[in-house]
Amino acid sequence: MFHNPETAINLPQRITVMQGQVYVGTGANEILTTVLGSCIACCLYDPLARVGGMNHFLLAEPSPGSGTVADQNYGIYLMELLINQMMTRGGVKSRMKAHVYGGANMHVGMTRIGDANARFAKNFLAEEKIPILRMDVGGESARRVDFDPVMGRTRCRTVEPVAAPAPKPVVAPQTGGGEVELF
Amino acid sequence: MSENIHVLTVDDSASMRALLRAALTSRGYNVSQAEDGVAALEWLADNNGGIDVIVTDINMPRMDGFGLIEALREQSRFRDCPILVLSTESSDEKKARARSAGATGWIVKPFDAEKLDSALRRVTH
Repeated sequence: MFHNPETAINLPQRITVMQGQVYVGTGANEILTTVLGSCIACCLYDPLARVGGMNHFLLAEPSPGSGTVADQNYGIYLMELLINQMMTRGGVKSRMKAHVYGGANMHVGMTRIGDANARFAKNFLAEEKIPILRMDVGGESARRVDFDPVMGRTRCRTVEPVAAPAPKPVVAPQTGGGEVELF
Repeated sequence: MSENIHVLTVDDSASMRALLRAALTSRGYNVSQAEDGVAALEWLADNNGGIDVIVTDINMPRMDGFGLIEALREQSRFRDCPILVLSTESSDEKKARARSAGATGWIVKPFDAEKLDSALRRVTH
């Protein structure tokens, strides 16, 4: 057999979606991947536009009146960012379907952040009327998620806890959100 | 005083509406809300336009923020009403489009409640 360079170049590009990030597929041959502990990754997919994207958030939302900015550490911001970026690529919100992964409670005896995160994702998607096709959350194991944003296929496997990066808040850039520009 | 300022927030995300309502009511604003541009126009028609300032998202179903701003500026009673865009978008092209449609300003999400408060005070006084 001769080596066929055509098959070699058809391998998908693996794109890691880190905590605090959102990535929407470009239509190229890509696999979005991430490793989760107590964090949540939500994968959204519009089957008609064949557009999919993933986010990866640390916490649900700031408590009301705390004065904390709902920045890239929070699901409430990263969910909206994901939906908007999907819409920019031709996705329609009413057609979107969701897969939700993560939300493990990695450390027994500590605050069950994973449960709070999973509850937030479920409530947010219900409020936005986006159906959840698959939800694999909770437990005490880390998970690796792979998502094909063109086909909308996901794979979720449990992995050794050491594979999940320790969750920590992402420091907002100096010129981050909330900037006001009056015309 | 913000107690007398009536804000209409327009955002299709129920979670974002709840966050905005909490941030603004805790600072004394009177808050009304609509889920998209069409609902905002209906609310304004039903309430005889009784609003001091409008804060609108851009990406929304039925009628987006650009469409809402254009529709409002066509009505003489909203020609001078301050309209702030509150969006995850921050491209110069989108800002220029909002500006030419008649927006008063642009605020990038995630919003900082203090900065939003200060912007609302500036455009309503």
